Amino acid sequence: MNQLLPYITGLLNDVFTGITYFMPEAYLVLLFLVVMITDLVFGKRAVAYCRAVACAGLVIVLFKDLLQFGLVLDGPHLIFSNMLLLSRSGICFKLIIDVLAFILLLYFTWDKKLKSHDKGLADLYSIAIASVFGLHLMAMAVNLLSVYLAIEMVSIASYLMVAYRTENAFSTEAGLKYVLFGAASSAIMLYGISLLYGFSGSLDLLARSTVTQLINVNPVSSSFAMVLVLVGIGFKLSFVPIHFWVPDVYQGAPTPVTAWLSSLPKIAAFALLFNVLPPMVLVGKSTGFNLEIVLSVIGIVTMIAGNFAAVMQNNVKRMLAYSSIGHTGFALMAVIVLTPQSLTTLTYYLLVYALANIGALVLATYFSNVADAEDMDGYKGLGLKYPIASVCFTIILISLTGLPVTAGFTGKLFVFSSVYNTYQQSHSIWLALLMATGALTTVVSLFYYIKIPLNLFLKRSENQDLEYRKSYNSVILAAIVSFILILLGVFPDFVLKYL
Amino acid sequence: MNILTLLIFIPVLFGIVIMVLPSRMRNSFKYITLLATLIQLGISIWMYLNFKTGANFAGINHEDQFQFVQKLPWISLNLGGMGKMQIDYFVGIDGISITLLVMTSLVMVIATLASWEIKSNLKGFFLLFLLLDMAVVGVFCALDFFLFYLFYELMLLPLYFLIGMWGGVRREYAAIKFFLYTLFGSVFMLLVMVGLYLSVTDPVTGNHTFNMVQMMNPSNYDQGSVFSLAAHQTIMGMSARTVGFVVLFIAFAIKVPIVPLHTWLPDAHVEAPTPVSIILAGILLKIGGYGIIRICLGIFPEVATHYAFWLGLIGVISILYGAFNALAQRDLKRMIAYSSVSHMGFVLLGIASQTAEGISGAVMQMVSHGFLSTMLFFLVGVIYNRVHDRDIYHFRGLGTLMPKYTAFVMIAFFASLGLPGFSAFVAEAFTLAGVFKSHNVNGLLPYWFAVCGTVGILLGAAYFLWTLQRMFFGQESLKGGSIWKIALTDLNLREKLTLAPLAIIALALGVMPSLVFDKVNDSVLALIQFLQTK
Repeated sequence: MNQLLPYITGLLNDVFTGITYFMPEAYLVLLFLVVMITDLVFGKRAVAYCRAVACAGLVIVLFKDLLQFGLVLDGPHLIFSNMLLLSRSGICFKLIIDVLAFILLLYFTWDKKLKSHDKGLADLYSIAIASVFGLHLMAMAVNLLSVYLAIEMVSIASYLMVAYRTENAFSTEAGLKYVLFGAASSAIMLYGISLLYGFSGSLDLLARSTVTQLINVNPVSSSFAMVLVLVGIGFKLSFVPIHFWVPDVYQGAPTPVTAWLSSLPKIAAFALLFNVLPPMVLVGKSTGFNLEIVLSVIGIVTMIAGNFAAVMQNNVKRMLAYSSIGHTGFALMAVIVLTPQSLTTLTYYLLVYALANIGALVLATYFSNVADAEDMDGYKGLGLKYPIASVCFTIILISLTGLPVTAGFTGKLFVFSSVYNTYQQSHSIWLALLMATGALTTVVSLFYYIKIPLNLFLKRSENQDLEYRKSYNSVILAAIVSFILILLGVFPDFVLKYL
Repeated sequence: MNILTLLIFIPVLFGIVIMVLPSRMRNSFKYITLLATLIQLGISIWMYLNFKTGANFAGINHEDQFQFVQKLPWISLNLGGMGKMQIDYFVGIDGISITLLVMTSLVMVIATLASWEIKSNLKGFFLLFLLLDMAVVGVFCALDFFLFYLFYELMLLPLYFLIGMWGGVRREYAAIKFFLYTLFGSVFMLLVMVGLYLSVTDPVTGNHTFNMVQMMNPSNYDQGSVFSLAAHQTIMGMSARTVGFVVLFIAFAIKVPIVPLHTWLPDAHVEAPTPVSIILAGILLKIGGYGIIRICLGIFPEVATHYAFWLGLIGVISILYGAFNALAQRDLKRMIAYSSVSHMGFVLLGIASQTAEGISGAVMQMVSHGFLSTMLFFLVGVIYNRVHDRDIYHFRGLGTLMPKYTAFVMIAFFASLGLPGFSAFVAEAFTLAGVFKSHNVNGLLPYWFAVCGTVGILLGAAYFLWTLQRMFFGQESLKGGSIWKIALTDLNLREKLTLAPLAIIALALGVMPSLVFDKVNDSVLALIQFLQTK
């Protein structure tokens, strides 16, 4: 203890200076407490208050995020003794996460099934805020310890959200499956981290000494440890072969939670991957373990598996689950390249994907609310009854497919061009294969995405006496999302120039 | 306001009007659409009349020789060390586009007139129709590859819904088949487009660019870039430029369509409602031919020359295969669909010859087929609307029952089979002359291609005349008996007004082919020269 005394002042100073770079997260912690207290004070009536507080709080956090751009003008900062990295791209990721979280918080109460929960949704808001805090950490974590903590934090919040309302055996099973899968994968990741720590004597991945130490270890062991860590991250990204939980959980969970799971943790996990991958690639290069090939194979298999499996689905949420696996595979392409340009394009792609995906799930909620439609068959002939929602759905799905004139197309184009740019120098056959697969699976994805407009517009409904129910919130949100998607399709630099 | 931009976006303006109007005014929608297409026709004719000809206005690979140009910076992104991404809103036309534009505008008017038969969900129909109108006109005007691709893809969705919602019995199948086929071609086109963009720099600004005209100049390619002519890069063992050419060619060939990528066409044409069939046959197929001329030949000239034999062969196969299939059809609409495959084969054959006659013939064939197939599909629509049947064997002796209708059918059939005096004859004659000449001038195509093409014309005469004999001559005998006889009234005024201009144009182009050739000639000569110098 006495030996450490001289360091304490230095360490404390580091923490205190670190806090100035940690304001959004500090506000999130505060917000979490406030939402929880609101819940306790107002009891049954707390939902509306919690919602208002959480949303208002997030706006403040968003504002704090924006202020952080001023802090990184002179380059990225390491804070809390190299635990977290505050960089420009990290702030972009955090901003995107907060904006999407804001939309999702609004959306929670629109789902009839989730709203009818006897316990009320107040708790869900505090869980969501805690999850956002974890997501912020994921976007900044560079130390293996902070990586693990951040992922665990998000995971635990997600377990609670998935099992928040279990209406039948299927969704209970989904919740349990998610917890078991998550626990197993984080255990595997922890094992990997402990191996890396054992090999290098440090958890700090960015330190040069860690990399040199790892290079000296037996290549098989170091590669093994890195793969184990990737499994933990891959669980959040849901790439093949650790994607098995996705369809069941997405289908079983309440729709707003599915929207949450399919967008936010995925974005944060990509941010995390982009931070921790470079040292691993460096180690791999020296030991002959080519991480680029491994990830390329994973990317190709993920695109193929996700898209082809989606073709056979009949449940809308399940189809979107498989399609989100396909999108992970596509986004991996940009990660493999690991250039500043690809980081920008990845951010843009993920933003656009997440917006469209949330839009699609909001509309899935809408149709489930107004017409009890869960399967493709249920959508038959609804297009003419609910024209605005159906047209929005079509636009959103076209964006997910990646056709002009939507943001999905520009996202796809930018990812292709960043990959191509690297291909032009390296002539790696894997990159060529990745791009070819990406193009081919676009055609496949059209086949299943178009099934929804097909049922909405082209088929005639079997029972004509559906009562006409109305619901405005979801349609307004979907219309705004569609508008943004088209706007970004025509003028992508509205967003891209800031990334 | 640039006149060309106005031409492209007029349909959208009217589309917004339709969107805003309440559904109870649905009866006015067709008149609004008609007005939009008529204004478009007026503008395009004005442009045709003001179009300057001469070697200084040839276009092709000279940016300053295009006319009615508008160029605005659109998407410009700083990519750090990568330089800047430059996407322009760049439209302009040369001799090859102007004739196709006039043809497109006129066909759009006809298609609107044919839309009178549409009875359900009019708002949706005319909105999609106008969106499609914008996209096809945009394709013919775009000189920036990104813009071109945008318009090119934008056609798909409206067409999917137009076929899928207002089509025949197997409309869902036909619609998705069409969509998947075309998308399959175009996603790979996207990859080549990105590759070209990263290979080419604009000499003025030094940025990577999507400018198609700059892509035609070999000196604009970065050294060592994928599609650089000098670098001889390979993609998976094949020459990168060959791969690029083949991918683009397949994308456009699906549209043309060539055998064996044509199978979407009979389904789509047959299931689509008449106005959409007209647009499909009249305009969409030409986009394939136009793309091959402008992009495949323009950007990869040396590969196009190298594989000219194979292009020609595909053309010949399409001519013969399409004609034989047309002979075997019982469904009148299907027969005409296959005749389209056969006629579009001439376009490919003409392009492959790489002679002035051949390429002029190909453009002429596109224009002529645009009008004639419109006429044919409209004529099928007339009979189908009356009795909801179009099996050739279910009709006999229509000549006495519907004399005016028969007169127009005879004009359309004789014009299509290449009777001298009509446009198709001039087009096919020039194409074949080009093929014959090619053997002596550049040695790309053998004589027997021309012979096979001639056989194709002969087969065309066979199926058209045989159909005429089966349906219109002889004793009157209808499958539906007296009910059909009452239903089968002769042409009304709207139909006559629609058909008459088409018949007149087919004749006018046959008698005065200079209407097209005068405008096309300079561009074709420039293209030939460009192909020879490479």
